[in-house]
Amino acid sequence: MDTANGSEGSSAPVQNGEPEDASGFKLKFCTVCASNQNRSMEGHLRLSQANYPVISFGTGSLVRLPGPTVTQPNVYKFNETSYDSIYRELEAKDPRLYRANGLLNMLGRNRLIKWGPERWQDWQVGMPRVKHEKDKGSAGMEGGVPDIVITCEERCWDAVVDDLLNRGSPLNRPVHVINIDIKDNHQDASIGGGAIVDLADSLNKAAMEEREKVGAAAFDAGGAASRASFDERVPEVLAEWQQRWPDLPSTWTLSWF
Amino acid sequence: MAADSSATPEKALSVAQQLQQLNAARKVVLENASYYDRIVKGVLPIIGRNAALELRRWGAEFLAESLATPVLRMGEKENMTVAVLETLRGLIEGAGEDIIVLKASVTAAASAYPVALRWIIHNSYHTESWEHMSAIKSRILQIWDGAPVPVKLSCIKFAQRVVLAQTVSNGMEQKYGGLDISLNMIPPNHPLLDPRQLEAEATGLLDRMLGVLQDNSSDAPLVDATLNCLSILIRTRPNTSNRILNTVLNFNPLKLANSPMTPKTRVLVKSLEKTTRLFLTHVLKRDPNNPMAGRIQQYIERLVRSRAEIFDEAGRKRALADQAAASYGDAKRQKVEGGLAQVVIPPLGPGPHTLAAVFTLTNNLGLAGFDATQLPVNLAAKISVRALAALDQQVLDLAVSGIRDRLTSLHAAAAVAAAATQPAEINAATAPLGVDEDDDDYEPDLTPAEDTEQILNKLDNAPPEEPIEPTADAGATLALGPFKLPPPPVLDPNVAAKLSQAAASRVFGPLSSLKEGAPLRKPKAGINRLAASSYDRDSWLTLITRLATRSTAGLEDVSSGIKPEDAGTALDRPRMSLGDTIREMLYNYILEDWRRRIEIAVAWLCEEWYNDQLIKRSGSDAPLHYEKCALRLVDGFLSYITAQDKVLTRFLAEIPELSRALLGKLKGLCADPTTVQLALTSLLYLVMMRPPVRDIALDTVADIWAEYEDARPLAAKYLVKWRPGFMESQTRGTSAPANNVAIAT
Repeated sequence: MDTANGSEGSSAPVQNGEPEDASGFKLKFCTVCASNQNRSMEGHLRLSQANYPVISFGTGSLVRLPGPTVTQPNVYKFNETSYDSIYRELEAKDPRLYRANGLLNMLGRNRLIKWGPERWQDWQVGMPRVKHEKDKGSAGMEGGVPDIVITCEERCWDAVVDDLLNRGSPLNRPVHVINIDIKDNHQDASIGGGAIVDLADSLNKAAMEEREKVGAAAFDAGGAASRASFDERVPEVLAEWQQRWPDLPSTWTLSWF
Repeated sequence: MAADSSATPEKALSVAQQLQQLNAARKVVLENASYYDRIVKGVLPIIGRNAALELRRWGAEFLAESLATPVLRMGEKENMTVAVLETLRGLIEGAGEDIIVLKASVTAAASAYPVALRWIIHNSYHTESWEHMSAIKSRILQIWDGAPVPVKLSCIKFAQRVVLAQTVSNGMEQKYGGLDISLNMIPPNHPLLDPRQLEAEATGLLDRMLGVLQDNSSDAPLVDATLNCLSILIRTRPNTSNRILNTVLNFNPLKLANSPMTPKTRVLVKSLEKTTRLFLTHVLKRDPNNPMAGRIQQYIERLVRSRAEIFDEAGRKRALADQAAASYGDAKRQKVEGGLAQVVIPPLGPGPHTLAAVFTLTNNLGLAGFDATQLPVNLAAKISVRALAALDQQVLDLAVSGIRDRLTSLHAAAAVAAAATQPAEINAATAPLGVDEDDDDYEPDLTPAEDTEQILNKLDNAPPEEPIEPTADAGATLALGPFKLPPPPVLDPNVAAKLSQAAASRVFGPLSSLKEGAPLRKPKAGINRLAASSYDRDSWLTLITRLATRSTAGLEDVSSGIKPEDAGTALDRPRMSLGDTIREMLYNYILEDWRRRIEIAVAWLCEEWYNDQLIKRSGSDAPLHYEKCALRLVDGFLSYITAQDKVLTRFLAEIPELSRALLGKLKGLCADPTTVQLALTSLLYLVMMRPPVRDIALDTVADIWAEYEDARPLAAKYLVKWRPGFMESQTRGTSAPANNVAIAT
């Protein structure tokens, strides 16, 4: 009974929401920046628009947004503050300033993507994300384990890789962690978002080829070893991508959840 | 139930329909973990060895996900894990299995291994499960070498989990994900598991894992994957730590940089270098006291330098070839490195060097030959100040470390040379070996025969390069006439008193900054301790109390002879002695927080008492301070005392001498009904524990009985017990209590 109910309930959104998903395999992504506001959220939005399952995080200790002066940033706690509440607070504080510097615009976008900024270090990998149905890019992320993590700054990459070493890889799941250096402003974030989708498309293509070709050659043992797998092709794909995006320096490693 | 609904329509439904149902089932378990056991078991018949490829892929991935889920605790996973072993074995042993199925199955096996091991530890009768797990293990270890990369990656991780489970743990790991399953849990007499054999297997597997590093492979996915799963071993399995660190420190992630730099090799080199560096930084951060910390630090520094060279060079070439590509690479870092690269500190060649040569940083021969001593001193000073003010901190750091490197390399080279020139004194069997090993670390052509100390000594004795005379000459020309300090102003006694008071108050300065001595950790030094040997708060207080009591002892006879009665009360007397000034401040210091500083008060009074005894013995008529100070202290805190202040009892018990006057002060407490009990129990304590003062304490109790109605019941109780007969005499003469009191006292 449970299964029957579940299948009825869940088959509908699959058919409505993701016509493409039925046709093809999709890698699952995770975008990371310092505050889970600008760069990672731009990436989150663009990847979800391209129908990739995606989640996003920040590695900072707190969510920091520019304030009236450099020394007075607006600071919020991760996981406890919603984009909407930040939006309303800043709008009440100084609507002109925060509209002019683009913060309200950004927060307005973010609150349509998910509830609030989440901290990487507090995230329990593999916890089912079934309660996040309204988040953009949630479809396909129910298992809570991405295949690729894309950070937007070198020190976020460092933090992520270090944190994964810390966790001790209990899930035994390999994950490609890729950094793309994107400057923290709206324009560069937008450019970076496009670059992230380009990279995602390239990676997904390689992953799909692996699944299709190996599938066809599944039963002759020699066939599989003769061509490169997805995991091997990631650096190659990244190198090609780098040629297309020479202004966004990248770093990659293969780590474990 | 779940199994039935998915299994029955199996034949009728297409693979796509089945997948849809399976996905629905997966959603159910993700939403409610309590279904895991049933659904996983129900799914097993559909995804087995003979199912369609899509179903096997889905199944293997589902198993990998389910066995790893953090939602279930270890105990909850056992049942499910044991149930899937047979299916898992079928998938892994299938000849020519699909890569994705294999990869996911091996991943699932990695998660299953610690759980299965734990289960077998407690359920040794169930040999069948262990047989499945062992078969899976040997099959995985067998396909490891020849497998395609994705499967190989999973095999590495599987091996890591086996090593983790079969080595001795230090108990430092998290309690989830089975990371805490270790050799410690296996009893030595287990019928299926032999700990020694398992440990030996783990050692072998670790070696096999590290093989990829030992071969200095540039297969980035494999190397990265290996490095990124080693940290937990180092942290929690001490027996593996040295082996791993030695291997990593001998690994050269930049080997690939020697081949032509294609965009792909660039990605690979960068990845290998950063992964290695982050791994070591992580180890260093987690365990700064690691015995290998020094080597790790050096390795990291060397790596950063080589990386800078490689990528900097590449960056320059690119800059020439293509302006747009110039910004490629780590823009922020390049800038800094570019700035630093301007200061290149060449290592010194062999042979003895002058001190000037050691400190010469320029390559410009003309500049190097310039004799700075010819400059007038004031000009040199001006230039130095200007230069230091304008100097970039990083450049200065670089220069300083460059000089330091030169000195250490000279030192090291001299040590090698010394070892080489004295072969007779060294064990012939070991010496050449040591030198050979060190060859990598030393510049072979650096062989000056002296060490730095010798060079410096020689330089000191030799006619100085920078002659001293010119300096002296310059000094002479600039010399001013003889300088005399103006005579000090005449000292007014009031000012002097103020100043000495200020001096005394400075004695108390360190108290605020010194840490409270940690009472728990402090070892008892016993009778042999020195009163103020450690520079902590306690010893400073000892110092202060002795300054107060003994510094001027015996010197104040005269003044005391004149007006002894003033000494305690005249606070603002201009000519207070040093001792009294410090006493005054000590008194204030104690009263500031007397509940916590009662110990200091006791220590102080002990010192006063001791000093009084010395004075008495010497027969001088110097004033005695103990009684005065004790009364004053008691007066001081009695006015703040509350019923809870048991410190009073302690204070009275610990100070060296009690007098009638002192105990008489306690009577005042009985005016307040809340403190009656405190006063009387303090006295009772004295009666019981300090026999020498029992009488005066009892007299005080009797006084209290007589004077304070409220205190009578309690006082009477004590008196009945300790002064039998007293109460009778009182009750007989109730009409004249005053007389009786007089008799009693």
